[in-house]
Amino acid sequence: MVQPISPPNPGRRKFLSLVTGLMASIGAIFLAIPFLSAFKPSARAEAAGAPVQVDISSLVPGQMKVVEWRGKPIFVVKMTENTVKLLSSNLNRLADPDGSNSVQPVYVENQIRSRKEGVAVITGVCTHLGCSPKYYPETGSVAFDSDWQGGFFCPCHGSKFDMVGRVYAGVPAPTNMDVPPHYFPKDNILVIGLDGVS
Amino acid sequence: MKLFSFLFLILTINVFGADEFSCGTIECDEFQVNISNNADLQNGLSTYMNYCYGCHSLQYSRYKRVAEDLDIPIDLYVENLIYDGSKPGELMKISLSKDDAINWLGAYPPDLTLEARVRKPEWIYTYLKSYYSDSSRPYGVNNLVYKNVSMPHVLEDLQASLPEENYNKVISDLTNFLVYVSDPSARERQQMGVYVLLFLFLFTSFAFLLYREYKKELK
Amino acid sequence: MLQWINSRFPITDLVERHLSKYPAPTNLNFWYLFGFLLIIVLVMQILTGLWLMMNYTNTAEEAFSSVEYIMRDVEYGWLLRYLHAAGASAFFVLIYLHMFRGMMYGSYQKPRELIWLGGWVTYVLLCAEGFTGYVLPWGQMSFWAAQVIISLLGSIPLVGEDLATWVRGDYLISGITLSRLFAFHVVLLPIMLIAVVFFHILALHEIGSNNPDGIDIKKHVDDDGVPLDSKPFYPYDITHDVYALGVFLIFFCAIVFFFPGGGGYILETVNFEPANPLSTPEHIVPSWYYTPYYAMLRAVDFSLFGLTAKFLGFVTMAAGIAIFAALPWLDRSPVKSIRYKGIYSKIFLGGFVISFFVLGYLGLVPPTEIKNILAKVFTIIYFSYFLLMPIYTRLEKCKPVPERVPA
Repeated sequence: MVQPISPPNPGRRKFLSLVTGLMASIGAIFLAIPFLSAFKPSARAEAAGAPVQVDISSLVPGQMKVVEWRGKPIFVVKMTENTVKLLSSNLNRLADPDGSNSVQPVYVENQIRSRKEGVAVITGVCTHLGCSPKYYPETGSVAFDSDWQGGFFCPCHGSKFDMVGRVYAGVPAPTNMDVPPHYFPKDNILVIGLDGVS
Repeated sequence: MKLFSFLFLILTINVFGADEFSCGTIECDEFQVNISNNADLQNGLSTYMNYCYGCHSLQYSRYKRVAEDLDIPIDLYVENLIYDGSKPGELMKISLSKDDAINWLGAYPPDLTLEARVRKPEWIYTYLKSYYSDSSRPYGVNNLVYKNVSMPHVLEDLQASLPEENYNKVISDLTNFLVYVSDPSARERQQMGVYVLLFLFLFTSFAFLLYREYKKELK
Repeated sequence: MLQWINSRFPITDLVERHLSKYPAPTNLNFWYLFGFLLIIVLVMQILTGLWLMMNYTNTAEEAFSSVEYIMRDVEYGWLLRYLHAAGASAFFVLIYLHMFRGMMYGSYQKPRELIWLGGWVTYVLLCAEGFTGYVLPWGQMSFWAAQVIISLLGSIPLVGEDLATWVRGDYLISGITLSRLFAFHVVLLPIMLIAVVFFHILALHEIGSNNPDGIDIKKHVDDDGVPLDSKPFYPYDITHDVYALGVFLIFFCAIVFFFPGGGGYILETVNFEPANPLSTPEHIVPSWYYTPYYAMLRAVDFSLFGLTAKFLGFVTMAAGIAIFAALPWLDRSPVKSIRYKGIYSKIFLGGFVISFFVLGYLGLVPPTEIKNILAKVFTIIYFSYFLLMPIYTRLEKCKPVPERVPA
């Protein structure tokens, strides 16, 4: 069998092997780009996940509207004056009133966790195991709470949230319900999915 | 060798002899595809949206993609070229229903997204030029390229009012737009192709030198 | 670590035997590069196919638009699809060259009959892959090609019509047919293809490669039992293969990036129209890689012994593909390579190549009277290469084969 002999110019052979090998590796990396990129959301998915515009002028105080955005229910609540007031009185019962651990845009990092006072916009998915919590606008004594201040109750494992999605202490859900990016281009028009400028 | 030339003769005579006209009853006009000029493509898009889109959808294409590719600001695009309140990300479908179309027009106008791939660009260009009056047809027009065509001559006013040169520019831009929309990745593809080939030439040169290094030993 | 593995699974030994130290004859030429390139193309087809499959919808209603979805909405979807489509054509170019190499140098002869048969099964599977894949975009060509091919089954006497209906799963080509062809294309056929290719390579490495001179290099071995006229795959053959890969990719990428439709030979223009069962395109042709057989099918326009022309054409076409498998037993020559065979072998092999090209051309163009006569003549030449082989290989005078590979 013919065997490789030591060549007259070993440096040249080494150099050529190195460059060819290196270029093959670079080529392989570039080849991976289309395959990895194809996993990104396609134009169809982007279009389906496009921002949603909602007219909230028809909502009466205390009424909730569920809007679908990127396959998730978005709860839009027009709160009564009373429930807005209660938002700042229940803080001691909440697990994370500032929302330091929750997914929310900066413009709701305030006392009432809303971009526009009196309108709650929350992703309607319980942060425990992903059930969709039920809306209980009444206040006072209810089956699961003797001093209910209005909000959401998860039927799966009994997690409780207030009107703007902040989680109560002592329930299975670890964090507040998410707040999706949203803004109000006009007084009664809500756009979900864009940060915009209100 | 004689046998070969004989065969070649038979084969070629038959190919070219049997050929019909390239564009229906006439020869196609010369047409040079050029999808690199955005202004032309925008012009073609606007002709399409104004004259063709009422009946012919571009249902595989999305409004937004066309705006991005042709460098049209999205606000301007939404305002002027989306008529039915569709979102920019949506497919360019039309509201004409199949039943209505068959009742009113006698046929369903085909989607034209891929027209420039099904037919040659020069065919489309020549077709748009080759309407003539024919009182025996329902719309009073007929076409040299597409015999007994069921589509009316929607560009008739343009053809009548514009000098021939300008009209040719309108349909040439329209044809180029259809070529673009039939394969919207073409420009990106060709740019990328240049880099890919340059890389491969370099790689192959080194691979050749390395191969020769070892090949020498075998002699 | 390596030792731990090796004592449980001899990986080093395996790699050395099949790759790095595989003893390849010293006189291999460029004809021996196509096997390597075929493996690369197979891997590429599997990867791009997998990615296409993630975005393709296998229903009659959605198939066509899902292909356009891939072409437009999926990022780099156009590249994946063009690679896959051009890859199919590249696959056939390479396998035809690879097969021709085997025929030229007698690589099918004893003791490599099973290697040849493995390769032949690969080719048949590839034809099936090509056909099933061609149907998936559900354009006009897809539909009518499926219609024509499956109707051929209907020509089989007695059971034909029932068989065709059974294969379609419907009374016409429909979404049901599309679905099952899809399952074949993406699961059954690729699994079989990989298995057979694996066998093909394994069998080759056990027996050893043939060479352009058809010399049995195992007759002269060194003390370790390794043939004297051999060289290790690494570094000699691998550097040659990598160089060949570069050249191949230059051609391949030039097509993918600048002529992805291949002038209608890679992506037929008619196939950009969605399938319409009510309107047949004016001129339907199969993909270029089947056209030699398609020409044979059309050349048979006469019935015989009560069998219809349609059935006889189908049989001729199938025989054109099947007959490659008989080569090891048709060749009675004492030598392997065309270099040492006599004049008859050279004439008949030349005739075969010309008839393959001419038939390929004739299958692409609309039939005329004179072309039909030509198709008949060249079908006869095609088959005479095989059927007369037992005679002419025995009659001719061969040159003596050297003992060792000539320097």
